[in-house]
Amino acid sequence: MVARRTGSLLLALLLLLAVLTASAADARRRPPTTSVGVAAREFRFSAYRTSAPGGIVRFNVANFGEDGHDLVVETAGGRRVGRTGEVRSGRRATLALRLRPGTYRLVCDLADHAARGMRTSFRVTR
Amino acid sequence: MSATAARRRHGRRRAHARRPSGGRGWTEAHVRRLFWRAGFGATPAEARRWARRGKAATLDHVVNGPPGGARVRGPAPRVEQRPLDPLNEWGDDVLWWLDRMIRSTHPLQEKLTLFWHDHFATADQDTPLMLAQNRMLRANALGSFRELLGAVTRDPAMQLFLSLADSTKDAPNENYARELMELFTLGSGYSERDVREAARALTGYTADWHDDGTVTIKYDAGQHDDGVKTLLGRRGRLGVDDVLDLVTAHPNHAPFLVGKLWSFFVATPPSRATLRALVATYRGSGLRIEPVVRQILAHPQLYRGLDAPDMVKCPVVFLAGAMRTTGTYVTQDYPTWLLELMGQLPFSPPSVAGWDWGAAWMSSNAMRQRFVAGNHVVQYGRPRPRKGAAPASLTPQEAYARAWRAVGEPRVSAATRATLTHLAARFFDDIDARWRDQADWRADALQWTLRHLLLTCPDAQLH
Repeated sequence: MVARRTGSLLLALLLLLAVLTASAADARRRPPTTSVGVAAREFRFSAYRTSAPGGIVRFNVANFGEDGHDLVVETAGGRRVGRTGEVRSGRRATLALRLRPGTYRLVCDLADHAARGMRTSFRVTR
Repeated sequence: MSATAARRRHGRRRAHARRPSGGRGWTEAHVRRLFWRAGFGATPAEARRWARRGKAATLDHVVNGPPGGARVRGPAPRVEQRPLDPLNEWGDDVLWWLDRMIRSTHPLQEKLTLFWHDHFATADQDTPLMLAQNRMLRANALGSFRELLGAVTRDPAMQLFLSLADSTKDAPNENYARELMELFTLGSGYSERDVREAARALTGYTADWHDDGTVTIKYDAGQHDDGVKTLLGRRGRLGVDDVLDLVTAHPNHAPFLVGKLWSFFVATPPSRATLRALVATYRGSGLRIEPVVRQILAHPQLYRGLDAPDMVKCPVVFLAGAMRTTGTYVTQDYPTWLLELMGQLPFSPPSVAGWDWGAAWMSSNAMRQRFVAGNHVVQYGRPRPRKGAAPASLTPQEAYARAWRAVGEPRVSAATRATLTHLAARFFDDIDARWRDQADWRADALQWTLRHLLLTCPDAQLH
Protein backbone atom coordinates (compact mmCIF):
# COMPACT_ATOMS: atom_id res chain seq x y z
CA MET A 1 0.00 0.00 0.00
CA VAL A 2 2.76 2.38 1.06
CA ALA A 3 4.77 1.42 -2.01
CA ARG A 4 1.77 2.13 -4.24
CA ARG A 5 1.28 5.59 -2.66
CA THR A 6 4.97 6.38 -3.07
CA GLY A 7 4.75 5.31 -6.68
CA SER A 8 1.76 7.57 -7.32
CA LEU A 9 3.55 10.48 -5.72
CA LEU A 10 6.63 9.88 -7.84
CA LEU A 11 4.49 9.66 -10.95
CA ALA A 12 2.80 13.00 -10.13
CA LEU A 13 6.18 14.63 -9.52
CA LEU A 14 7.49 13.28 -12.80
CA LEU A 15 4.46 14.60 -14.64
CA LEU A 16 4.89 18.02 -13.02
CA LEU A 17 8.56 18.03 -13.95
CA ALA A 18 7.69 17.11 -17.53
CA VAL A 19 5.20 20.00 -17.76
CA LEU A 20 7.69 22.49 -16.32
CA THR A 21 10.44 21.30 -18.62
CA ALA A 22 8.14 21.58 -21.62
CA SER A 23 7.20 25.18 -20.66
CA ALA A 24 10.82 26.14 -20.25
CA ALA A 25 11.66 24.53 -23.57
CA ASP A 26 8.78 26.42 -25.20
CA ALA A 27 10.09 29.68 -23.81
CA ARG A 28 13.56 28.83 -25.09
CA ARG A 29 12.23 27.93 -28.52
CA ARG A 30 10.22 31.16 -28.78
CA PRO A 31 12.56 33.68 -30.41
CA PRO A 32 12.99 37.01 -28.65
CA THR A 33 11.05 39.91 -30.15
CA THR A 34 12.64 43.33 -30.38
CA SER A 35 10.79 46.43 -31.53
CA VAL A 36 12.59 49.04 -33.58
CA GLY A 37 11.08 52.47 -34.16
CA VAL A 38 11.82 53.75 -37.66
CA ALA A 39 10.95 57.23 -38.92
CA ALA A 40 10.79 57.98 -42.64
CA ARG A 41 10.91 61.44 -44.19
CA GLU A 42 12.37 63.12 -47.25
CA PHE A 43 14.95 61.71 -47.62
CA ARG A 44 16.12 60.00 -44.52
CA PHE A 45 15.50 56.92 -42.37
CA SER A 46 16.05 57.14 -38.63
CA ALA A 47 16.17 53.85 -36.75
CA TYR A 48 15.84 54.42 -33.01
CA ARG A 49 17.69 51.18 -32.40
CA THR A 50 20.66 50.35 -34.59
CA SER A 51 20.91 46.71 -33.58
CA ALA A 52 18.84 43.89 -32.12
CA PRO A 53 19.48 40.32 -31.01
CA GLY A 54 18.67 37.55 -33.48
CA GLY A 55 15.00 36.56 -33.48
CA ILE A 56 11.85 38.43 -34.38
CA VAL A 57 12.52 42.07 -35.17
CA ARG A 58 9.42 44.25 -35.42
CA PHE A 59 10.03 47.44 -37.38
CA ASN A 60 7.44 50.07 -36.38
CA VAL A 61 7.60 52.52 -39.27
CA ALA A 62 6.14 56.05 -39.08
CA ASN A 63 6.11 58.25 -42.15
CA PHE A 64 6.65 61.86 -41.00
CA GLY A 65 7.28 63.01 -44.55
CA GLU A 66 5.02 64.43 -47.23
CA ASP A 67 5.57 61.67 -49.82
CA GLY A 68 4.80 57.98 -49.59
CA HIS A 69 7.67 55.73 -48.50
CA ASP A 70 8.27 52.07 -47.84
CA LEU A 71 10.75 50.09 -45.79
CA VAL A 72 12.62 47.26 -47.42
CA VAL A 73 14.94 45.08 -45.36
CA GLU A 74 17.79 43.50 -47.34
CA THR A 75 20.76 41.38 -46.42
CA ALA A 76 24.22 42.83 -46.97
CA GLY A 77 24.29 40.82 -50.19
CA GLY A 78 21.16 42.54 -51.47
CA ARG A 79 18.63 39.72 -50.88
CA ARG A 80 15.26 41.17 -49.93
CA VAL A 81 13.98 39.82 -46.60
CA GLY A 82 10.78 41.87 -46.26
CA ARG A 83 8.90 45.01 -47.31
CA THR A 84 6.16 47.06 -45.69
CA GLY A 85 4.32 48.18 -48.78
CA GLU A 86 3.91 51.90 -49.36
CA VAL A 87 3.27 53.90 -46.21
CA ARG A 88 1.46 57.10 -47.01
CA SER A 89 2.24 60.44 -45.41
CA GLY A 90 1.28 60.51 -41.74
CA ARG A 91 0.61 56.76 -41.66
CA ARG A 92 2.31 53.87 -39.91
CA ALA A 93 3.12 50.28 -40.72
CA THR A 94 4.72 47.31 -39.02
CA LEU A 95 7.07 44.80 -40.55
CA ALA A 96 7.91 41.78 -38.39
CA LEU A 97 10.75 39.58 -39.61
CA ARG A 98 12.72 36.66 -38.24
CA LEU A 99 16.31 37.80 -38.65
CA ARG A 100 19.54 35.91 -38.16
CA PRO A 101 22.72 37.58 -36.95
CA GLY A 102 24.32 39.73 -39.61
CA THR A 103 24.22 43.16 -41.17
CA TYR A 104 21.11 44.32 -42.99
CA ARG A 105 20.20 47.37 -45.06
CA LEU A 106 17.03 49.37 -44.53
CA VAL A 107 16.06 51.19 -47.71
CA CYS A 108 13.10 52.88 -49.34
CA ASP A 109 12.75 51.42 -52.81
CA LEU A 110 10.22 53.94 -54.11
CA ALA A 111 11.46 56.10 -56.99
CA ASP A 112 14.98 57.34 -56.27
CA HIS A 113 14.44 57.70 -52.52
CA ALA A 114 17.27 55.33 -51.55
CA ALA A 115 19.72 57.17 -53.76
CA ARG A 116 18.62 60.45 -52.21
CA GLY A 117 19.44 59.23 -48.71
CA MET A 118 16.73 56.83 -47.50
CA ARG A 119 19.05 53.98 -46.58
CA THR A 120 20.70 52.95 -43.37
CA SER A 121 22.23 49.81 -41.93
CA PHE A 122 20.98 47.60 -39.13
CA ARG A 123 22.87 44.94 -37.24
CA VAL A 124 21.47 41.74 -35.79
CA THR A 125 23.63 40.26 -33.08
CA ARG A 126 23.83 36.74 -31.61
CA MET B 1 -24.24 48.67 7.00
CA SER B 2 -27.89 49.63 7.10
CA ALA B 3 -29.45 52.00 4.60
CA THR B 4 -29.75 54.68 7.25
CA ALA B 5 -26.12 54.29 8.30
CA ALA B 6 -24.96 54.43 4.69
CA ARG B 7 -26.98 57.58 4.10
CA ARG B 8 -25.55 59.10 7.26
CA ARG B 9 -22.01 58.27 6.23
CA HIS B 10 -22.35 59.65 2.72
CA GLY B 11 -24.20 62.63 4.13
CA ARG B 12 -21.43 63.25 6.67
CA ARG B 13 -18.84 63.29 3.93
CA ARG B 14 -20.88 65.65 1.80
CA ALA B 15 -21.40 67.93 4.77
CA HIS B 16 -17.69 67.79 5.51
CA ALA B 17 -16.94 68.66 1.90
CA ARG B 18 -18.58 72.03 2.48
CA ARG B 19 -17.48 72.59 6.07
CA PRO B 20 -14.65 75.10 6.51
CA SER B 21 -11.79 73.33 8.19
CA GLY B 22 -8.15 74.38 7.84
CA GLY B 23 -8.72 78.01 7.01
CA ARG B 24 -11.54 80.47 6.56
CA GLY B 25 -13.93 78.86 4.09
CA TRP B 26 -11.38 76.32 2.87
CA THR B 27 -13.12 72.97 2.38
CA GLU B 28 -12.59 69.63 0.68
CA ALA B 29 -14.60 71.00 -2.24
CA HIS B 30 -12.09 73.84 -2.62
CA VAL B 31 -9.22 71.35 -2.52
CA ARG B 32 -10.87 69.20 -5.16
CA ARG B 33 -11.45 72.19 -7.42
CA LEU B 34 -7.85 73.31 -7.03
CA PHE B 35 -6.38 69.85 -7.53
CA TRP B 36 -8.42 69.27 -10.69
CA ARG B 37 -7.66 72.65 -12.22
CA ALA B 38 -3.97 72.59 -11.26
CA GLY B 39 -3.50 68.88 -11.85
CA PHE B 40 -5.44 65.67 -12.30
CA GLY B 41 -7.78 65.58 -9.31
CA ALA B 42 -7.56 64.82 -5.60
CA THR B 43 -7.84 61.48 -3.89
CA PRO B 44 -10.15 61.39 -0.85
CA ALA B 45 -7.10 61.37 1.43
CA GLU B 46 -5.62 64.42 -0.30
CA ALA B 47 -8.92 66.28 -0.12
CA ARG B 48 -9.18 65.66 3.62
CA ARG B 49 -5.51 66.40 4.37
CA TRP B 50 -5.32 69.68 2.48
CA ALA B 51 -8.71 70.90 3.66
CA ARG B 52 -7.27 70.67 7.17
CA ARG B 53 -4.05 72.45 6.24
CA GLY B 54 -5.74 75.56 4.82
CA LYS B 55 -5.58 77.51 1.59
CA ALA B 56 -2.10 79.04 1.87
CA ALA B 57 -0.40 75.74 2.73
CA THR B 58 -2.32 73.96 -0.01
CA LEU B 59 -1.32 76.53 -2.63
CA ASP B 60 2.31 76.29 -1.54
CA HIS B 61 2.14 72.52 -1.90
CA VAL B 62 0.45 72.66 -5.30
CA VAL B 63 2.68 75.35 -6.78
CA ASN B 64 6.05 74.47 -5.26
CA GLY B 65 5.67 70.70 -5.27
CA PRO B 66 7.30 68.54 -2.62
CA PRO B 67 10.64 69.53 -1.10
CA GLY B 68 13.45 68.08 -3.15
CA GLY B 69 11.56 68.24 -6.43
CA ALA B 70 9.01 66.16 -8.28
CA ARG B 71 9.14 62.38 -8.12
CA VAL B 72 6.92 59.59 -9.33
CA ARG B 73 5.49 57.15 -6.83
CA GLY B 74 3.64 53.88 -7.22
CA PRO B 75 4.22 50.99 -9.59
CA ALA B 76 6.17 51.67 -12.78
CA PRO B 77 4.10 51.39 -15.95
CA ARG B 78 4.02 48.11 -17.84
CA VAL B 79 2.05 46.99 -20.87
CA GLU B 80 1.40 43.29 -21.32
CA GLN B 81 4.03 42.65 -18.64
CA ARG B 82 6.76 44.57 -20.46
CA PRO B 83 8.24 47.93 -19.42
CA LEU B 84 7.50 50.89 -21.66
CA ASP B 85 9.72 51.54 -24.66
CA PRO B 86 8.69 55.09 -25.68
CA LEU B 87 11.10 55.24 -28.62
CA ASN B 88 10.34 51.98 -30.32
CA GLU B 89 6.77 50.99 -29.44
CA TRP B 90 3.96 53.09 -30.88
CA GLY B 91 2.00 54.88 -28.24
CA ASP B 92 4.46 54.17 -25.43
CA ASP B 93 5.51 57.84 -25.56
CA VAL B 94 1.93 58.77 -24.73
CA LEU B 95 1.76 56.17 -21.95
CA TRP B 96 5.07 57.41 -20.56
CA TRP B 97 3.72 60.94 -20.18
CA LEU B 98 0.30 59.79 -18.96
CA ASP B 99 2.09 57.76 -16.29
CA ARG B 100 3.86 60.89 -15.10
CA MET B 101 0.51 62.68 -14.84
CA ILE B 102 -0.83 59.80 -12.77
CA ARG B 103 2.17 59.26 -10.50
CA SER B 104 3.93 62.64 -10.24
CA THR B 105 4.18 64.26 -6.83
CA HIS B 106 4.00 67.64 -8.58
CA PRO B 107 0.97 67.45 -10.89
CA LEU B 108 0.99 71.19 -11.66
CA GLN B 109 4.30 70.71 -13.44
CA GLU B 110 2.71 68.09 -15.70
CA LYS B 111 -0.39 70.22 -16.20
CA LEU B 112 1.71 73.18 -17.30
CA THR B 113 3.81 70.93 -19.52
CA LEU B 114 0.51 70.09 -21.20
CA PHE B 115 -0.30 73.81 -21.43
CA TRP B 116 3.05 74.57 -23.09
CA HIS B 117 2.70 71.54 -25.39
CA ASP B 118 -0.52 73.12 -26.62
CA HIS B 119 0.89 76.68 -26.66
CA PHE B 120 4.07 75.72 -28.54
CA ALA B 121 2.28 72.98 -30.46
CA THR B 122 4.70 70.75 -32.36
CA ALA B 123 3.92 67.54 -34.25
CA ASP B 124 5.12 65.10 -36.89
CA GLN B 125 8.68 65.00 -35.62
CA ASP B 126 10.88 62.07 -34.64
CA THR B 127 10.02 60.51 -31.29
CA PRO B 128 13.42 61.26 -29.67
CA LEU B 129 12.96 64.93 -30.57
CA MET B 130 9.42 65.09 -29.22
CA LEU B 131 10.46 63.44 -25.97
CA ALA B 132 13.38 65.86 -25.63
CA GLN B 133 11.03 68.79 -26.23
CA ASN B 134 8.68 67.42 -23.58
CA ARG B 135 11.52 67.30 -21.05
CA MET B 136 12.49 70.85 -21.96
CA LEU B 137 8.94 72.12 -21.50
CA ARG B 138 8.71 70.37 -18.12
CA ALA B 139 12.03 71.82 -16.94
CA ASN B 140 10.87 75.35 -17.83
CA ALA B 141 7.18 74.94 -17.04
CA LEU B 142 7.08 77.34 -14.09
CA GLY B 143 10.21 79.39 -14.67
CA SER B 144 11.05 82.42 -16.81
CA PHE B 145 9.00 82.77 -19.99
CA ARG B 146 11.90 84.46 -21.75
CA GLU B 147 14.15 81.48 -21.00
CA LEU B 148 11.42 79.07 -22.07
CA LEU B 149 11.00 80.99 -25.33
CA GLY B 150 14.74 80.82 -25.95
CA ALA B 151 14.73 77.08 -25.35
CA VAL B 152 11.71 76.58 -27.63
CA THR B 153 13.33 78.66 -30.38
CA ARG B 154 16.43 76.43 -30.29
CA ASP B 155 14.50 73.20 -29.75
CA PRO B 156 15.18 70.75 -32.61
CA ALA B 157 11.58 69.54 -32.91
CA MET B 158 10.28 73.10 -33.14
CA GLN B 159 13.07 74.18 -35.48
CA LEU B 160 12.17 71.39 -37.88
CA PHE B 161 8.39 71.76 -37.47
CA LEU B 162 8.37 75.46 -38.35
CA SER B 163 11.30 75.36 -40.76
CA LEU B 164 13.59 77.55 -38.70
CA ALA B 165 16.40 75.06 -39.21
CA ASP B 166 18.07 75.75 -42.54
CA SER B 167 16.44 79.17 -42.87
CA THR B 168 19.27 81.14 -44.43
CA LYS B 169 20.05 84.73 -45.31
CA ASP B 170 19.45 83.89 -48.96
CA ALA B 171 16.09 82.23 -48.30
CA PRO B 172 14.69 83.26 -44.91
CA ASN B 173 11.67 81.16 -43.91
CA GLU B 174 8.88 83.16 -42.23
CA ASN B 175 7.03 80.29 -40.54
CA TYR B 176 8.62 80.54 -37.12
CA ALA B 177 8.71 84.36 -37.10
CA ARG B 178 4.99 84.48 -37.89
CA GLU B 179 3.91 81.97 -35.23
CA LEU B 180 6.31 83.52 -32.74
CA MET B 181 4.28 86.70 -32.89
CA GLU B 182 0.81 85.42 -33.68
CA LEU B 183 0.60 82.36 -31.42
CA PHE B 184 3.50 82.38 -28.97
CA THR B 185 3.89 85.94 -27.71
CA LEU B 186 1.67 88.73 -29.09
CA GLY B 187 -1.53 87.73 -30.88
CA SER B 188 -1.72 91.16 -32.48
CA GLY B 189 0.14 94.48 -32.72
CA TYR B 190 2.69 93.57 -35.37
CA SER B 191 2.85 93.95 -39.15
CA GLU B 192 3.77 91.75 -42.10
CA ARG B 193 6.99 93.73 -42.31
CA ASP B 194 7.78 92.80 -38.70
CA VAL B 195 7.34 89.13 -39.64
CA ARG B 196 9.70 89.45 -42.59
CA GLU B 197 12.30 91.36 -40.59
CA ALA B 198 12.12 88.89 -37.72
CA ALA B 199 12.56 86.03 -40.18
CA ARG B 200 15.78 87.68 -41.42
CA ALA B 201 17.01 88.13 -37.85
CA LEU B 202 16.29 84.48 -37.04
CA THR B 203 18.34 83.04 -39.91
CA GLY B 204 21.51 80.99 -39.39
CA TYR B 205 20.37 77.72 -37.80
CA THR B 206 21.27 74.47 -39.52
CA ALA B 207 20.22 70.90 -38.77
CA ASP B 208 22.77 68.12 -38.52
CA TRP B 209 20.95 64.77 -38.54
CA HIS B 210 22.13 61.55 -36.90
CA ASP B 211 21.06 58.03 -37.88
CA ASP B 212 19.25 57.43 -34.57
CA GLY B 213 16.66 60.13 -35.24
CA THR B 214 18.32 62.83 -33.18
CA VAL B 215 19.48 66.07 -34.67
CA THR B 216 21.94 68.72 -33.60
CA ILE B 217 20.91 72.30 -34.26
CA LYS B 218 23.93 74.47 -34.98
CA TYR B 219 24.24 78.18 -35.50
CA ASP B 220 26.18 79.10 -38.61
CA ALA B 221 27.01 82.80 -38.57
CA GLY B 222 27.77 82.57 -42.27
CA GLN B 223 24.10 81.76 -42.97
CA HIS B 224 22.79 84.55 -40.75
CA ASP B 225 21.55 87.79 -42.28
CA ASP B 226 23.59 90.37 -40.38
CA GLY B 227 22.16 93.36 -42.21
CA VAL B 228 20.16 96.16 -40.60
CA LYS B 229 16.52 95.33 -39.83
CA THR B 230 13.63 97.23 -38.31
CA LEU B 231 11.47 95.19 -35.96
CA LEU B 232 8.62 96.50 -33.80
CA GLY B 233 10.03 100.02 -34.06
CA ARG B 234 13.63 99.08 -33.24
CA ARG B 235 16.37 99.39 -35.88
CA GLY B 236 19.72 97.65 -35.87
CA ARG B 237 21.69 94.54 -36.82
CA LEU B 238 19.24 92.38 -34.94
CA GLY B 239 19.88 88.74 -34.10
CA VAL B 240 17.91 85.88 -32.54
CA ASP B 241 17.96 87.09 -28.94
CA ASP B 242 17.09 90.63 -30.02
CA VAL B 243 13.92 89.28 -31.63
CA LEU B 244 12.96 87.35 -28.51
CA ASP B 245 13.69 90.35 -26.27
CA LEU B 246 11.63 92.65 -28.48
CA VAL B 247 8.53 90.45 -28.68
CA THR B 248 8.50 89.81 -24.93
CA ALA B 249 8.97 93.54 -24.20
CA HIS B 250 6.08 94.47 -26.51
CA PRO B 251 3.09 95.95 -24.62
CA ASN B 252 0.77 93.24 -26.01
CA HIS B 253 2.85 90.34 -24.77
CA ALA B 254 2.01 90.31 -21.06
CA PRO B 255 -1.80 90.62 -21.48
CA PHE B 256 -1.68 88.00 -24.25
CA LEU B 257 0.20 85.38 -22.26
CA VAL B 258 -1.41 86.05 -18.91
CA GLY B 259 -4.87 85.92 -20.51
CA LYS B 260 -4.09 82.57 -22.09
CA LEU B 261 -2.80 81.16 -18.81
CA TRP B 262 -5.94 82.38 -17.06
CA SER B 263 -8.23 80.67 -19.56
CA PHE B 264 -6.36 77.39 -19.02
CA PHE B 265 -7.38 77.41 -15.36
CA VAL B 266 -10.63 79.42 -15.24
CA ALA B 267 -13.58 79.08 -17.62
CA THR B 268 -14.91 82.62 -17.31
CA PRO B 269 -12.82 85.61 -18.47
CA PRO B 270 -11.00 87.77 -15.92
CA SER B 271 -12.20 91.26 -15.07
CA ARG B 272 -10.08 94.14 -16.33
CA ALA B 273 -8.78 94.72 -12.81
CA THR B 274 -7.77 91.07 -12.47
CA LEU B 275 -6.02 91.11 -15.83
CA ARG B 276 -4.17 94.31 -14.87
CA ALA B 277 -3.07 92.76 -11.59
CA LEU B 278 -1.84 89.60 -13.31
CA VAL B 279 0.03 91.63 -15.92
CA ALA B 280 1.68 93.66 -13.14
CA THR B 281 2.73 90.46 -11.38
CA TYR B 282 4.13 89.00 -14.59
CA ARG B 283 6.11 92.09 -15.53
CA GLY B 284 7.17 92.78 -11.95
CA SER B 285 8.61 89.28 -11.60
CA GLY B 286 10.70 89.59 -14.77
CA LEU B 287 8.28 87.51 -16.90
CA ARG B 288 8.21 84.55 -14.53
CA ILE B 289 5.36 82.07 -14.88
CA GLU B 290 5.11 80.75 -11.33
CA PRO B 291 3.90 83.97 -9.63
CA VAL B 292 1.17 84.43 -12.25
CA VAL B 293 -0.02 80.85 -11.93
CA ARG B 294 -0.02 81.13 -8.14
CA GLN B 295 -2.12 84.29 -8.36
CA ILE B 296 -4.60 82.62 -10.72
CA LEU B 297 -4.88 79.54 -8.52
CA ALA B 298 -5.54 81.74 -5.48
CA HIS B 299 -8.18 83.84 -7.23
CA PRO B 300 -11.76 83.57 -5.86
CA GLN B 301 -13.11 83.22 -9.41
CA LEU B 302 -11.44 79.82 -9.69
CA TYR B 303 -13.56 78.58 -6.78
CA ARG B 304 -16.93 79.87 -8.00
CA GLY B 305 -19.73 77.34 -8.38
CA LEU B 306 -18.11 74.47 -6.49
CA ASP B 307 -21.39 72.57 -6.84
CA ALA B 308 -21.73 73.42 -10.53
CA PRO B 309 -18.35 73.21 -12.31
CA ASP B 310 -18.16 75.00 -15.65
CA MET B 311 -14.90 73.79 -17.16
CA VAL B 312 -14.82 70.82 -19.53
CA LYS B 313 -12.06 68.35 -18.78
CA CYS B 314 -9.90 67.88 -21.84
CA PRO B 315 -9.47 64.17 -22.74
CA VAL B 316 -6.01 63.93 -21.18
CA VAL B 317 -7.22 65.39 -17.89
CA PHE B 318 -10.38 63.26 -18.00
CA LEU B 319 -8.43 60.02 -18.36
CA ALA B 320 -5.35 60.85 -16.29
CA GLY B 321 -7.66 62.22 -13.60
CA ALA B 322 -9.88 59.13 -13.57
CA MET B 323 -6.80 56.94 -13.23
CA ARG B 324 -5.01 59.09 -10.65
CA THR B 325 -7.98 59.62 -8.37
CA THR B 326 -8.91 55.94 -8.41
CA GLY B 327 -5.37 54.64 -7.87
CA THR B 328 -5.23 53.09 -11.33
CA TYR B 329 -1.86 52.73 -13.06
CA VAL B 330 -0.72 52.17 -16.63
CA THR B 331 -0.92 48.42 -17.27
CA GLN B 332 -2.57 48.41 -20.70
CA ASP B 333 -2.23 50.38 -23.91
CA TYR B 334 -5.87 51.50 -24.10
CA PRO B 335 -5.10 55.12 -23.07
CA THR B 336 -3.18 55.74 -26.29
CA TRP B 337 -5.86 54.76 -28.75
CA LEU B 338 -8.68 56.11 -26.63
CA LEU B 339 -7.00 59.51 -26.28
CA GLU B 340 -6.69 59.62 -30.05
CA LEU B 341 -10.38 58.77 -30.44
CA MET B 342 -11.30 61.32 -27.77
CA GLY B 343 -9.49 63.98 -29.81
CA GLN B 344 -6.31 64.68 -27.84
CA LEU B 345 -3.34 62.49 -28.60
CA PRO B 346 -0.31 63.97 -26.84
CA PHE B 347 2.66 64.63 -29.14
CA SER B 348 0.21 64.99 -32.04
CA PRO B 349 -1.61 68.33 -31.78
CA PRO B 350 -3.71 68.98 -34.90
CA SER B 351 -1.81 72.12 -35.92
CA VAL B 352 0.61 74.77 -34.72
CA ALA B 353 -2.39 76.46 -33.10
CA GLY B 354 -2.82 73.46 -30.78
CA TRP B 355 -6.15 71.93 -29.83
CA ASP B 356 -9.57 73.58 -29.66
CA TRP B 357 -10.58 73.68 -25.99
CA GLY B 358 -13.79 74.00 -24.03
CA ALA B 359 -17.02 72.64 -25.43
CA ALA B 360 -15.16 71.61 -28.61
CA TRP B 361 -14.01 68.50 -26.73
CA MET B 362 -17.59 67.28 -26.39
CA SER B 363 -18.40 65.95 -29.85
CA SER B 364 -20.79 63.02 -29.89
CA ASN B 365 -18.05 60.58 -30.89
CA ALA B 366 -15.57 61.91 -28.35
CA MET B 367 -18.16 61.54 -25.58
CA ARG B 368 -18.82 57.98 -26.69
CA GLN B 369 -15.10 57.25 -26.39
CA ARG B 370 -15.03 58.75 -22.90
CA PHE B 371 -17.74 56.25 -22.04
CA VAL B 372 -15.53 53.46 -23.40
CA ALA B 373 -12.56 54.82 -21.43
CA GLY B 374 -14.58 54.61 -18.22
CA ASN B 375 -15.22 50.94 -18.93
CA HIS B 376 -11.50 50.31 -19.31
CA VAL B 377 -10.64 52.09 -16.08
CA VAL B 378 -13.16 49.91 -14.24
CA GLN B 379 -12.05 46.74 -15.99
CA TYR B 380 -8.29 47.14 -15.62
CA GLY B 381 -7.98 49.53 -12.71
CA ARG B 382 -8.54 49.63 -8.99
CA PRO B 383 -12.32 50.29 -9.30
CA ARG B 384 -12.79 46.75 -10.69
CA PRO B 385 -15.39 45.10 -8.44
CA ARG B 386 -14.27 41.99 -6.59
CA LYS B 387 -16.64 39.13 -7.14
CA GLY B 388 -19.13 38.89 -4.29
CA ALA B 389 -17.72 41.89 -2.43
CA ALA B 390 -20.97 43.84 -2.74
CA PRO B 391 -23.70 41.30 -2.00
CA ALA B 392 -27.24 41.54 -3.28
CA SER B 393 -28.44 42.11 0.27
CA LEU B 394 -27.06 45.69 0.22
CA THR B 395 -29.64 48.46 0.08
CA PRO B 396 -29.57 50.72 -2.99
CA GLN B 397 -27.96 53.44 -0.89
CA GLU B 398 -25.29 51.06 0.37
CA ALA B 399 -24.60 49.78 -3.14
CA TYR B 400 -24.26 53.34 -4.41
CA ALA B 401 -22.02 54.38 -1.51
CA ARG B 402 -19.75 51.39 -2.10
CA ALA B 403 -19.38 52.26 -5.77
CA TRP B 404 -18.80 55.93 -4.95
CA ARG B 405 -15.99 55.08 -2.54
CA ALA B 406 -14.45 52.68 -5.07
CA VAL B 407 -14.05 55.43 -7.66
CA GLY B 408 -12.37 57.92 -5.36
CA GLU B 409 -15.40 59.70 -3.87
CA PRO B 410 -15.87 62.12 -6.78
CA ARG B 411 -18.09 65.18 -6.69
CA VAL B 412 -21.57 64.01 -7.69
CA SER B 413 -24.61 66.24 -8.03
CA ALA B 414 -27.75 65.43 -6.04
CA ALA B 415 -29.60 64.67 -9.28
CA THR B 416 -26.99 62.14 -10.45
CA ARG B 417 -26.86 60.52 -7.03
CA ALA B 418 -30.64 60.18 -6.99
CA THR B 419 -30.64 58.71 -10.50
CA LEU B 420 -27.96 56.16 -9.68
CA THR B 421 -29.60 55.18 -6.40
CA HIS B 422 -32.86 54.72 -8.28
CA LEU B 423 -31.03 52.54 -10.79
CA ALA B 424 -29.66 50.46 -7.92
CA ALA B 425 -33.17 50.11 -6.48
CA ARG B 426 -34.58 48.81 -9.78
CA PHE B 427 -31.62 46.67 -10.80
CA PHE B 428 -33.11 43.46 -9.45
CA ASP B 429 -36.71 44.05 -10.53
CA ASP B 430 -36.76 41.15 -12.96
CA ILE B 431 -35.64 38.71 -10.27
CA ASP B 432 -38.20 37.01 -8.06
CA ALA B 433 -38.10 38.66 -4.63
CA ARG B 434 -37.51 35.28 -2.98
CA TRP B 435 -34.23 34.89 -4.86
CA ARG B 436 -32.98 38.42 -4.68
CA ASP B 437 -30.65 37.98 -1.70
CA GLN B 438 -28.96 35.12 -3.55
CA ALA B 439 -28.42 37.16 -6.72
CA ASP B 440 -24.86 38.25 -5.95
CA TRP B 441 -23.94 37.88 -9.63
CA ARG B 442 -26.43 40.63 -10.38
CA ALA B 443 -25.05 42.74 -7.52
CA ASP B 444 -21.60 42.45 -9.12
CA ALA B 445 -23.08 43.73 -12.37
CA LEU B 446 -24.67 46.59 -10.47
CA GLN B 447 -21.27 47.58 -9.06
CA TRP B 448 -19.69 47.50 -12.54
CA THR B 449 -22.52 49.67 -13.82
CA LEU B 450 -22.47 52.19 -10.98
CA ARG B 451 -18.71 52.58 -11.01
CA HIS B 452 -18.66 53.02 -14.76
CA LEU B 453 -21.45 55.59 -14.65
CA LEU B 454 -19.81 57.50 -11.81
CA LEU B 455 -16.63 57.79 -13.89
CA THR B 456 -18.44 58.89 -17.04
CA CYS B 457 -21.61 60.70 -15.94
CA PRO B 458 -22.06 64.40 -16.83
CA ASP B 459 -20.56 65.43 -13.47
CA ALA B 460 -17.37 63.55 -14.33
CA GLN B 461 -16.87 65.55 -17.53
CA LEU B 462 -16.49 68.88 -15.72
CA HIS B 463 -14.18 70.23 -13.08
